[in-house]
Amino acid sequence: MNVRRIMTSLSMILRMLFRRRIVLILLVVIPIVFFSVVAITTSIQKVPFRIASMNGKVFILASEKHMALVFFAVAIAGFLMSFLAMNLIQKNSTINRRLMVCGYHPLELLLSNLLALTLMILMISVYVGLLTAAFFHVSHPGMMIFSLALTGFVYGGYGLAVGSLIAGELEGILFIVLLANIDAGWLQNPIFYAEAQNQALIHYLPAFYPSQAAIIAAFTDYSGLNASLNSLWYGLGFLAFSMLIFVIKMRIRK
Amino acid sequence: MILKAENMIKSFGKKKVLKGVSFSMDEGTVYGIAGENGSGKSTLLKILVGLWKADKGDFLIKGKIGYCPQESLLFSQLTVDEHFRYFSAAYGLAKSNWQSQSEFLLDQLNFRQYRKDKVSDLSGGTHQKLNLSLALLHQPDLLILDEPYNGFDWETYFRFWEITGHMKSQGCSILIVTHLLSEVNRFDRIYNLKNGYLE
Repeated sequence: MNVRRIMTSLSMILRMLFRRRIVLILLVVIPIVFFSVVAITTSIQKVPFRIASMNGKVFILASEKHMALVFFAVAIAGFLMSFLAMNLIQKNSTINRRLMVCGYHPLELLLSNLLALTLMILMISVYVGLLTAAFFHVSHPGMMIFSLALTGFVYGGYGLAVGSLIAGELEGILFIVLLANIDAGWLQNPIFYAEAQNQALIHYLPAFYPSQAAIIAAFTDYSGLNASLNSLWYGLGFLAFSMLIFVIKMRIRK
Repeated sequence: MILKAENMIKSFGKKKVLKGVSFSMDEGTVYGIAGENGSGKSTLLKILVGLWKADKGDFLIKGKIGYCPQESLLFSQLTVDEHFRYFSAAYGLAKSNWQSQSEFLLDQLNFRQYRKDKVSDLSGGTHQKLNLSLALLHQPDLLILDEPYNGFDWETYFRFWEITGHMKSQGCSILIVTHLLSEVNRFDRIYNLKNGYLE
């Protein structure tokens, strides 16, 4: 492991990311558009729902609008991070192999990608968290941002796994949109969840614990430790899987 | 001897591309491998640089390899200078070494004026100049070039031979794969890859 190689690669990855207009548009515009649509379309009617990760003991009464904002904040963070992570791994896979022929170790490139991803997670979670807080009073903004970072971590890991496994960009995007849409964008909605016929299935989807952590942080004074820890485990699972695939696919014979 | 390959075999599914390729190269020589499209030339090079694994056979390379792939493998959002910096980190070169070598290559291949430009804004010929320069940056002992002068104009083509001639005189061995061989007098030996064998 060579620190200079990792830092050079990190600096180049960040330059490439920020020079792509579509990345900047996605980062800035998508959250604003989503939140605006929610703010315009949802009602302020209060809806009671229970926090699924707390054994059904805790009920909350929150407005539909505020709940939708939290729910969409999670969905936005998940979608953006999985797309960026997939793009990061997939886009340069051929030229990364050339860098390895020239001396880079797969782990050095992987580590620089993970560092870039971490920076992006921090940036997106802070931005989306602050935007959420701009729309309504969030009980614990710091924890809310942390739970969005957890969403980014879980879905970033998923994006890395998709990018490592699937060569085609279009197919990769399809995998990401499918899961992000079904999981973070639909099944984790607390209103849907409350009446779902098979709640156990929803428990095992990647956005379950991060959205629970976000709901706890946004509306209650309870501890979201359990949901946060489970999110970390989920993210680590995706990360380990994607790292394994990356190293196997990228190694060269010297 | 800088390169020795013995009985290299490679198949893709049922198609046997390399059926037993053996050859060796001495220091300070220029070898060419010619062959029709799809004859397995690039496959052989990819095995030699470590990108692919041969099904059977073995090879030994002494010293640093410089590899120029057939298609320009470059980062579209990075500039020419940033490529030199990125690849110098890969080679583990000190700043003074890679900077003087990149200045030399920018002048020799005549693309200094594009050093601050992103690859996405460059022409195909300039892509190929950068593609080749990245293989030469660390002054390798064995240069493996896959169709290196595709897209070069005449002047750059002759500059290419000037550079390789200079490198050869310093003991570098050069293996060039091409589907079109001209100026055979520039090569110390030319192989033809046909039906999976070198002739």
